[in-house]
Amino acid sequence: MATNTTTVNGPANGAGNVGAVPRPSARRSGGGAWQRYVSALKRPRGAVGAGLLALLILAAVLAPVLFPDGYDDQSSGALAGPSAGHWLGTDELGRDILARTVFGLRTDISLLLTAVPLSAAIGTLMGLAGVIARWLGTGMQRLLDIILGFPGLILGMTIVLVVGTGWLALFLSILVVGLPMFGRQARAGLLAEQEREYVLAARVLGVRKRTVMVRHVLPNIIDPIVVNASVFMVVAIFIEAGLSIVGLGIEPPVPSLGAMLNTGARYVEVHPAYIIGPGLVLLLLALGFTLLSDALNKAVLRR
Amino acid sequence: MNILPKTAAHTAATSAENDMRTGHETSPLLQVHGLRTEFVTETGIVRAVNDVDLTLHTGKVLGVVGESGSGKSVTARSIMRMVHSPGRIVAGEILFNGRDLRGLTTDEMRHIRGSEIAMVFQDPQSALNPVMSVGDQIAEALIVHGSDKRTARRRALELLEQVGIPDAERRVDEYPHQFSGGMRQRVVIAIALASSPKLLIADEPTTALDVTIQAQILRLLARLKDDVGVAVLMITHDMGVVAETCDDVAVMYGGRVVEHGPAEVIFARQEHPYTADLLKAMPRIDENGDGRRSQGLPAIPGAPPDPAALPPGCAFHPRCRLAEDQCRSDVPELSPRENGLRAAACWITERGDTIPPLEPADHTGRTTASGGRVTGIAVHPDEDTRGAGSDTSDSTGALQDLLVVDDLRVNVAADRRSLFGRPDPVYAVDGVSLSVAGGETLGLVGESGCGKSTLARTVVGINRPSSGSIRVGAGLVDASSPGGIQALQSTVQYVFQDPYASLNPRRTVRQSLDEALEMRGVPRSERAGESIELIRRVGLNEGHLDRYPHAFSGGQRQRIGIARALAVEPRVLICDEPVSALDVSIQAQIINLLETLRDDLGLGYLFIAHDLSVVRHLSDRVAVMYLGQIVETGPVEAVYSSPQHPYTVALMSSSPVPDTAVRDRERIVLTGDLPSPKDPPSGCRFRTRCPIGPLVHPERQICVEKEPALNTTPAGQRAACHFAGEMVLAPAS
Amino acid sequence: MLHDLWTGEIMIRFLLRRAPSVLLVIAATSVIAFLLPRLAPGDAAAAAAGPEATTEQIEAMRVEMGLDRPLVEQYFSWIGGLLTGDLGQSLQFNRPVSELIGDRIGSTLELTIAAMLILTVVGIGVGVFGGSARSRLSRLTADATNTLLLATPPFLAGLLLIIVLGVALPVLPISGEVAVLDDPVIGLQYLLLPAVALAVPMSAGVARLVQSSMHNVWQQDFVDLAVAKGVPRRRISIRHVVRNSLGPAVVALGMRFGDMLAGAVVIEMIFARNGIGQLAVTGVQNADYNLVQVIIVGAVLIAVLMQLMTEIALAGLDPRVRLGA
Repeated sequence: MATNTTTVNGPANGAGNVGAVPRPSARRSGGGAWQRYVSALKRPRGAVGAGLLALLILAAVLAPVLFPDGYDDQSSGALAGPSAGHWLGTDELGRDILARTVFGLRTDISLLLTAVPLSAAIGTLMGLAGVIARWLGTGMQRLLDIILGFPGLILGMTIVLVVGTGWLALFLSILVVGLPMFGRQARAGLLAEQEREYVLAARVLGVRKRTVMVRHVLPNIIDPIVVNASVFMVVAIFIEAGLSIVGLGIEPPVPSLGAMLNTGARYVEVHPAYIIGPGLVLLLLALGFTLLSDALNKAVLRR
Repeated sequence: MNILPKTAAHTAATSAENDMRTGHETSPLLQVHGLRTEFVTETGIVRAVNDVDLTLHTGKVLGVVGESGSGKSVTARSIMRMVHSPGRIVAGEILFNGRDLRGLTTDEMRHIRGSEIAMVFQDPQSALNPVMSVGDQIAEALIVHGSDKRTARRRALELLEQVGIPDAERRVDEYPHQFSGGMRQRVVIAIALASSPKLLIADEPTTALDVTIQAQILRLLARLKDDVGVAVLMITHDMGVVAETCDDVAVMYGGRVVEHGPAEVIFARQEHPYTADLLKAMPRIDENGDGRRSQGLPAIPGAPPDPAALPPGCAFHPRCRLAEDQCRSDVPELSPRENGLRAAACWITERGDTIPPLEPADHTGRTTASGGRVTGIAVHPDEDTRGAGSDTSDSTGALQDLLVVDDLRVNVAADRRSLFGRPDPVYAVDGVSLSVAGGETLGLVGESGCGKSTLARTVVGINRPSSGSIRVGAGLVDASSPGGIQALQSTVQYVFQDPYASLNPRRTVRQSLDEALEMRGVPRSERAGESIELIRRVGLNEGHLDRYPHAFSGGQRQRIGIARALAVEPRVLICDEPVSALDVSIQAQIINLLETLRDDLGLGYLFIAHDLSVVRHLSDRVAVMYLGQIVETGPVEAVYSSPQHPYTVALMSSSPVPDTAVRDRERIVLTGDLPSPKDPPSGCRFRTRCPIGPLVHPERQICVEKEPALNTTPAGQRAACHFAGEMVLAPAS
Repeated sequence: MLHDLWTGEIMIRFLLRRAPSVLLVIAATSVIAFLLPRLAPGDAAAAAAGPEATTEQIEAMRVEMGLDRPLVEQYFSWIGGLLTGDLGQSLQFNRPVSELIGDRIGSTLELTIAAMLILTVVGIGVGVFGGSARSRLSRLTADATNTLLLATPPFLAGLLLIIVLGVALPVLPISGEVAVLDDPVIGLQYLLLPAVALAVPMSAGVARLVQSSMHNVWQQDFVDLAVAKGVPRRRISIRHVVRNSLGPAVVALGMRFGDMLAGAVVIEMIFARNGIGQLAVTGVQNADYNLVQVIIVGAVLIAVLMQLMTEIALAGLDPRVRLGA
């Protein structure tokens, strides 16, 4: 934020220096958007959250290097407790739980990083559809209302019925559940921005509608969408895990954190360590996004 | 009022002794000594209030006046011990009835608040709890000081009646959103008076209100002061309000009191250059209007200091035309003058020098840094031959009309749609005609909700007209015709009210100007040069071009907004309250800039404001709007010297004048609030508040039945009143 | 909260005004549910008839399911059935869907009602605690707890509760159920862990909304006015701040009801409760379209009605919100 607080010294002709009034709107930071995102990482929550996420993503990327045997090596005894060879023990087929946890994390992260941004992009476009034609905007809002009527997991189950279980169903579930949130946010932002005086000023100048959108409206509604996307990451994690845990998740033998919790739950009384690995990693992943979204919310949106 | 030497520190004991005395010699109700309040921020300690001394006697009104950042509000909050975190009082004493409030426990202080010292806040819209009935909110003020519920409720009803809420019996159970702004402020006053406090602190109590409502509230406060015998500490930025209501004045600047004394004495002659210059820089509603437009306003350069970075020495020295070396290094103490009648903190006047009056700014001077005409801004040739018989000239034959609005109506409910059909139309502008010629200013005044901003926004195409026509440019092209929109955009531009909202926070000044230049068709290669000329023309320099709006003060942002509007070389500017969000000392700078630009470039202005003094200073002609219609219009001299419509008379007599000599003039204070444009009164729209209409003369049924036309009056202007000219403005005594 | 908005006429006007959009959502949901077996890859009749069915059996199933008739006719006959209480026949259980749902709905109702109660008490309680906390320590504690709970999905909380209270220190039953109405003491023991697992993680979201809303209200001018009136801090906190934060709290609770239904599905699996959630999951796994269609329409209906009730409750809490407007 350092450069945002620099003051302008009065010019020689006496137009004065920075106003003495700490008006709330005066604190609305302008200028380089990146600086505000970077400043989020300087907050304690942002730093911890980003650090956690960086570690988890690194582990997911390096999974094949860390565990060259892969996630489906059944050479050991089934349901063994923690040991030097298998830090978290083995599962019902004798596979290393730690290896499967890290590969499961890889599945989850790949889902999140594809489905969530796509959902944000499509949702935003749906929210902005009113710009093209009024009826289109209203229609899109109705469509989003309908999607919003579905509780998340019920929507997921509906999608499973259509496309069957597997990666695609999880991907689509996350994508569709996010649409109303992003769509409504974009529309609310659009309506607010359209009334801003700098947007009106551009219109009075005769700047073309599309240019006004790209120059003045979009940059000012992107930030809340980005922050919301980081909040939605947590919801997305829960959707993957929720569908998996009721047995509608990824197809075996591919691991995901939710799928491991599903099978682990069956052995919770005999082998409680089974669910600790995936459970803890899932918690850390969600915690990382929660902390990061908190920091982003404060640094990027606070005006 | 005695100003005690700083060394004579009053102790609680001596104050208590003073209580024994009688008459003039009673000890003050409130005595503040050496008050210092600081805020701890990331960048360091900000001293918002510094060594402030104040004295207030029972039954008196002390005005604390200053611009934003002067520390006046923090002073008020410090007395209440209600400074928001991270602020804290670090030094001084606050003697109330001889007791130092700083020494009280939290609970003792709580008992004093509301029962002995009460406070009225600036914004009545937000000062009331939205989910609690007004009766409960008044009663709460009594219940927490030991009253039982039934008594409290009965008293709440009494109080509502006392502050002038009609139909109090019914309204006591209503919620704040069901009250108008003025009525809410009455409720806040009722809350403050609930426990009959000895001291009332009013923090800008009328700033958020319209001028006719402000007059109602000021009159109410004056009446209550006499009835209840309460002392009032009036915090305000408005010298007019001070002159009208206060016995004593303390002027604050940069966290310190710089001048202090009885109101009559201070308004007659000032001992601090800031007070003197500030009073000079304010346009006057009773300005003597010989040959107008000859001179600009005398303006104080610069902006009020940032409390976080006060200049060394006297905080005013960077803006002071009399500053000397000593002013730059040593802080002047508040020293008694004229045998302790008054005090001032100034090295220059302390040694007996007088303050020469601030001269009006050189008309072509400072603001046009480059001097002369700027090549980037075309000067239209027909200006040099004003009135040379162009066929589009208006009847006076002087100037060429560049904007003509004819019988315009705007339905602001047109865009709202519901499933069950369209809502009833709401005409915020209902049959308005006006014209603006090059080089002249048409002032448009009216209270909030009268439709003046809707009118302005409709002219530039933000709102859509329901009927009527808007014609622009030398050829008076209809804006709704094919190609009309281009004519409109290149002819008419808009300057917004809020300089904090009208610039995109993510775009540099250069980007904002480039966008406008692009619309004029300036090739990319020439934009840099044009930007420099534009920014200089509004009194900034090219070093400012690559900064973002948040780095500028309000006045500077307003300059940038004006530069952006000028970039397309418009011929007419619509200025929508361009100075009302600015500090008084900055207003004069912007007014001067606008005047210079108008005269240099031959621009026509439609200047919208609620401040009648500013409009008088700047305008050639004026139009007064009420509830969507123009009720009076004509040359500024005619309208201001002999207003014909009773609403105009009321507006003018309600406007506070910064001069104690005219404080006893007769005022016409309107009753009630502006009716809703959803359902305007039949006949004359003003009749529900008119002091000469059917309210007072029930036989005047014509006002209910027949809409008055805008007819020419003997005085020369036009007024829409069946009894135009009957009411006259009381002359200033 | 008795202000003049609470008259029957205004309520009816409000319901009439909202009726079109509610009906639209429900109608659209019914169409989606209806189309499900037709959108699914492959032949729904073949899937329903099972892997070893002969061609004749599949054709018979097609006729039984009505898939041989025109689409519009199929839809109206199906929706007519729903409206007259004929919810169809479950393909996997060969029993009427209404019977299956009737058997299980009590269990799910118990769980969601208990969880909703816990959610309300814990969510608003923790939110108010965090929102009125003055010391840095208690504020930090509230924040940290909230953040942790926000990152914990209900099923993970359930699994942890099972490990701690069911396996490590076996104090409560972790699997199965007894209806509370049949035997309140035992029934509640079975209900407690699933309800806590479902409600507590969700309460973090509510708590956070309440807390941030309280923080905003503390900054309002009317709180300053209350201080200037001499109102004690405790009274300000309750009469002014909490009272003004209840609206957002109600919205937060209403918004989460849908999530709660979804969460119940998972919690029922983990705690082996025989509720609608389990029914829905087996329905999806076995392509029992007739059953799943009804559950989907029912869930959306309940969620939409909850949204409507939230709006009514909000109007009761805030005189500025007008149902009629």
